[in-house]
Amino acid sequence: MTGLRAAGFPERAVRARARNGTAEVFPPAGGYGEELYGELRDGVPDELDRARIAPPVFMPRRLEKLIELGREPGHDDVELHTSVGGFASELPLFLSAFGSTRAGSGDLGVAASRQAARLGIPMVIGENMVPVHGYRRAAADGVRSALLARIRAYTEAVPDGVGGVAVQQSTEDADSEVWNLVYSDPATRPLLESGRLAFELKTGQGAKPGLGGMTVVDRAEADRLSGRFTVRDVLGSGTADGTAEHRLRCATPGTFTEEIVRQQLRFMRNNFPKARTWVKFHPGRDVARAAATAWRAGADAVTVDGAEGGTGWAPRVFLDQVGLGLADCLRLIAASGHHGSGASDGPGGCLLATGRMWEGGRAVRALALGARAVGLGRAALIAVDEDPEDGLVRLAEALALEARLLISALGKYAPGSLGAEDLWWPGAAPAAPAPAPLSAAGPGNP
Amino acid sequence: MEQSEPAVPLPPPLGEHLRSPRLRAAMLVQQEALHAAREFLRGEGFTELLPPLIGPVTDPGGRGAKALDVDYYGHPYKLMTSAILYKQASLSGFPKLFYIAPNVRVEPEETAGTGRHLVEFHQIDVEIAGASRQDAQDVAAGMLTHIVDHVWTAVPDVLAELGRDELDFAELRSGKFDACTHEEAVSRLIARGHPQSPDAEIDWAGERILSLEADRPFFVNDYPKGSRGFYDREDPEHPGVLRNFDLLAHGGYGELVSGSEREADYATIVTRMRESGENPAKYAWYLDLAREGIPSSAGFGMGLQRLVRFLTGLDALWQVSAYPKLPGAVSP
Repeated sequence: MTGLRAAGFPERAVRARARNGTAEVFPPAGGYGEELYGELRDGVPDELDRARIAPPVFMPRRLEKLIELGREPGHDDVELHTSVGGFASELPLFLSAFGSTRAGSGDLGVAASRQAARLGIPMVIGENMVPVHGYRRAAADGVRSALLARIRAYTEAVPDGVGGVAVQQSTEDADSEVWNLVYSDPATRPLLESGRLAFELKTGQGAKPGLGGMTVVDRAEADRLSGRFTVRDVLGSGTADGTAEHRLRCATPGTFTEEIVRQQLRFMRNNFPKARTWVKFHPGRDVARAAATAWRAGADAVTVDGAEGGTGWAPRVFLDQVGLGLADCLRLIAASGHHGSGASDGPGGCLLATGRMWEGGRAVRALALGARAVGLGRAALIAVDEDPEDGLVRLAEALALEARLLISALGKYAPGSLGAEDLWWPGAAPAAPAPAPLSAAGPGNP
Repeated sequence: MEQSEPAVPLPPPLGEHLRSPRLRAAMLVQQEALHAAREFLRGEGFTELLPPLIGPVTDPGGRGAKALDVDYYGHPYKLMTSAILYKQASLSGFPKLFYIAPNVRVEPEETAGTGRHLVEFHQIDVEIAGASRQDAQDVAAGMLTHIVDHVWTAVPDVLAELGRDELDFAELRSGKFDACTHEEAVSRLIARGHPQSPDAEIDWAGERILSLEADRPFFVNDYPKGSRGFYDREDPEHPGVLRNFDLLAHGGYGELVSGSEREADYATIVTRMRESGENPAKYAWYLDLAREGIPSSAGFGMGLQRLVRFLTGLDALWQVSAYPKLPGAVSP
């Protein structure tokens, strides 16, 4: 080194790549399994967070509620019970898929499943669990497989009449026939017979739109998985503290066209007629068309994962630079007019949103932009890591209280009543106020 | 309104089943049916091959039926649910071929009571290079007619003893087969209050309703894409509609035959695999052949046990199988 300097140029990053090569394309492999990823924006508000929640002065819907109750309504009068992808849910929340990452598929995943069940909210189980961990039992250590352990924990704790489990299947899962195994397993029959089983077609994820699932594995595991996945030596020779060498395990993203999505959904409904049909899209620029295609093909839910989403391992360039933010995804779908807003939407119009969800404000903003419910991913894992017994329950209770406070402040009493008029985008030109939605509001209107 | 399925009796212990005069009668009819099928097909210039039992992939099928896994020197292999891929692969050397093929399908447990599902069963599996759907239907109808003629000639006393009436086969033996489209069948069922999905195969109860109303076998044509495997050819004139068919027996016996023109174009096969959620990489050997060029073809499979049940008039498929395995029942 000569001490060459290049002010204003990302010199340190260039030097790191010159030293470490492809390992610098990824976050440090040594932190895998202990750190959760997602867009690298600690503390920096994204587009959705920038929107102010904007209560009006005149509140015809509050008048409606006042008339209904015969007394002044308060935040406890906000009804959060809703329908999520064909399941009844106590809250406009669900537990997002964690995939096969180490953080998401161990004990934390089981604890999160149990608490989601207690909350009476649906749970999504991520792709690649079976090809990696086996179905009946994990291939290596002889314990109950991660997928079945999570389904059992959920089934044991869920109250009657609420909740449900959605199981994803990737291309590699299709080789292992995950949906077939789950659908015909006596252990899942209580869910199936009570209409609380769904299958989710996963086309992508927020953390790395256009790529398939990625995890970091050691060499022994890499050898075991190399028949089913692409395994690559791109993470460098080792870490400073001398831990074992790492390999990158890549699943394929799958190929989708409008016709492929339509036909796969039809196939799912024909082959698994008692299961609900969900679809998850990455934040693609054509996400509105994708959602419309899925709804037209009869999907019970469409999940959109914003670029802020994901617990998974992803190349830095994807975390920082790829995919639409959740706010843009939701606004594109709303603008396309392919689904109604909130609880009033018609059959097939259930939109679910994920990406950095953890508190009531962001959840309410997503609901106001047309989502029926929001998914907790990283937040759920952190919460159960904090307290495996009650952490997620407490986190959800705090979120629910905030949501009730915010929705009542907007003069509304159900998430489905929220609309784009409830958000204010700083810097946007003041537009003509949205027409009051209620014609019966007479005295309250100018 | 919905017509409920009749209660189907369950099999006795295997020893008792194997000693029953009824099974003996059914096996005599089956033997004559197989003889007639081979006689007919050989007369039409077909060659009989023996089908494979296991392979790296099998017919992915549909309707929730699963393939059984086999550990083959450390490779995950499948027992054949049907040998359709091998039929297509064989056409270059054998342009008119057939198998009497054993198949294993782990059917959903709810099909145990239909009387029409066995986990182990056999198909008379026919494939014809360069043929159209009509060609395949002509062979299927000709073969069925020949089989019925033959069994009524060879073992009329056995059929009469089982309570069969020769007059019930008169329309069939005169060569009269009806036909309708899937869309028409769906409309008829909906008009009768049966909730049949327009995107799916005709369900068991729906098949039974249509079959009871008929006095002769009939073809149902043009199933919608998404209801069948990737190998059934999409109609270029009508996207979303397949150039395929089922042949349903009259008298409530339902489906005897499924058939179709086949996709032979490599790119179309790969695309159709994705549409049915399949990973093309699994099908490498088949796709390599398709890339080299598979002849266009049409063909069908006639369920042997369903055929014998239709001939004998017995209530359930297990009664015409020596070693029956009902879905969900652990049997020897």
